[in-house]
Amino acid sequence: MSKTTDDAVRQADDAVRQTDDGDVPLAEGVDHQVAMVMDLNKCIGCQTCTIACKTNWTESGGREYMYWNNVETKPGAGYPRDWEEMGGGWDEDGESRTPGELPDEEDYGRAWEFNHEAIMYEGSDEPLRPMENADWGPNWDEDEGAGEYPNSYYFYLPRICNHCTHPSCVEACPRSAIYKREEDGIVLVDQDRCRGYRYCVEGCPYKKVFYNAQTKTSEKCIFCYPRIEGEGPEGEVRPPSCAEDCPPQLRHVGFLDDEEGPIHKLVNEYEVALRLHPEYRTEPNVYYIPPYAPPQTSESGETVDAERIPRNYLEELFGPEVESALNTITREREKAERGEESELMDILSTVNNDDQYRLEVFDDGS
Amino acid sequence: MMAADDAGIGGDESDDDSGIGSRELAVAAALALAVVAATAAFPAVADARAAYEIPVERQSSAGDLAEPTGDAWTSVETVDVPMSSTGAAVPGGAETTVESVRVEAARTDERLYLRLSWSDPAANASTDSLRSFADAAAVQLPVSAESQPPIAMGSTDNRVNVWYWNAADGTESLLAGGAGSTTRVPESAVETRATHTGDRWTVVFSRSLASDRANVTDVDPDQDVNAAFAVWEGANEERSGQKAASEWYYLSLGPNEGGTIYETVLWALAGIAVVFTTLVTVEGVRRTRGE
Ligand code: SF4
Ligand code: SF4
Repeated sequence: MSKTTDDAVRQADDAVRQTDDGDVPLAEGVDHQVAMVMDLNKCIGCQTCTIACKTNWTESGGREYMYWNNVETKPGAGYPRDWEEMGGGWDEDGESRTPGELPDEEDYGRAWEFNHEAIMYEGSDEPLRPMENADWGPNWDEDEGAGEYPNSYYFYLPRICNHCTHPSCVEACPRSAIYKREEDGIVLVDQDRCRGYRYCVEGCPYKKVFYNAQTKTSEKCIFCYPRIEGEGPEGEVRPPSCAEDCPPQLRHVGFLDDEEGPIHKLVNEYEVALRLHPEYRTEPNVYYIPPYAPPQTSESGETVDAERIPRNYLEELFGPEVESALNTITREREKAERGEESELMDILSTVNNDDQYRLEVFDDGS
Repeated sequence: MMAADDAGIGGDESDDDSGIGSRELAVAAALALAVVAATAAFPAVADARAAYEIPVERQSSAGDLAEPTGDAWTSVETVDVPMSSTGAAVPGGAETTVESVRVEAARTDERLYLRLSWSDPAANASTDSLRSFADAAAVQLPVSAESQPPIAMGSTDNRVNVWYWNAADGTESLLAGGAGSTTRVPESAVETRATHTGDRWTVVFSRSLASDRANVTDVDPDQDVNAAFAVWEGANEERSGQKAASEWYYLSLGPNEGGTIYETVLWALAGIAVVFTTLVTVEGVRRTRGE
């Protein structure tokens, strides 16, 4: 790409990412926007985030099958199975919604009963296993990925609701029961207004709204709002559980419009944190640092100069900007390797939680 | 059903009559007056039921009116109410399946009973899985009994009560002031019983005539009240605005059972038209004959 085209692209991007006066565009009527950046290069697929979320919010009461946070293997069918083929989101001019489907329950996988009782209390020596036929579930195709030995590849993709700036779930509800809250743009379902129509389930292209057949209402990730409001353990402001409990601490949590914060830098300045499936046009506020992989190797085990994860696959997931994002990261990494200063590498490799979680910057009521 | 309009058309036909003398004129005028008088004095006969009328049969005791298959319903007149999709702005809003609902109405001195029955080959009585939607039906009444709010769930200043039943979760009483504004009225006084037999649902809705709270239609046994009906086919994933709905009908409770002021006015106009056209015709004939 020539420099001129590069600049033109950057300018076009800036128009989307920042308004003329430099402000970060937020959804109408929203004061600030919470956001999260996940560095896919650090995810080990341990599912600690999944379990942290589950024990907090979805353990029982019709929520057994729900994973507000799930981690799936890519390439792979995901959770629910083939969610990327179920429609939802917005059409090309972002004006009308694209029709979406309701997944089949089997696509999520059932909440199986296990033979814990027999093994733990009745002395059975059977292996621990689901008591019914289990043939699909979250991350069922774990580590399968794609490609041929010795150049097979896969990576993990943790997913929560993106608390989108232009959420099609909100638009889908004829009762306005699902809304973006004013103070921080968190998308919530008003349980009193919801009548279980499930249009939001159809309408979300990421399939991050779930129907609770017991309460007959739809439910979803709440960005752990009690925790970010200071009702976390010990009455402190804490980031969402999925972020705080992650062993490699791969998530940054803060506000998109906190121009001093790492999220703004990663998303708007360095443009290395990208939206998943930007073509759905819901404008997610969860961003990803795209994954690197070691280069390919030949039959004899020699390193070859070829990308292991095909670029076009990453483009399918993160859009055409993945190209320049990866180039920027490469450039900055080389800088750091030469011993030069790299703010980007500092942000991405910080082990200081105070830098990663910036949730009190707007607490003066601005 | 269009008795009033039929009468009007009948009046026009006397245009073709010729050879009428002055004696005939007097007879015609007397007849026309008699029609007007009769309309005012006597309840209209069943087949002369007005457009959009649901006759409400008064019964001395409730008997088994609450039962969808109750014998007490045998004598009650059935109105076939055509239904069509509302075309609401929800996915599939124009795709509905139920084309008509049979409506019957009866009352005692205390309670109003409405029996709705529609064709549905299979009962969908569960909302227990992501893709299951329950069959449902609703009766819509204006909160203020004399008014006729916008048919699509009323408006903010002209609200509606909705008696809502679905095959999975039972009955709710709702209040709405425009599409999407539905809220539940706590401790609903509406009762329902439903049965699915053969290929039909039959649901009886009942409620005490008098309302015990604000924003719930107070049904005055001496006054007509508007009513509209809706049915959702669960198998077709119908819910919310994706429903087959009727136009406004009215439950004829007023003193002129089976007739209304509206109908009387139409009959009167028809009578006057008969007299007028007869006079014009006779006068025309006279002039032609050079009398
Ligand atoms: S990810 Fe889905 S549920 Fe979450 S805000 Fe966006 S459209 Fe709505
Ligand atoms: S806890 Fe962290 S490393 Fe583990 S699966 Fe979740 S995001 Fe990946």
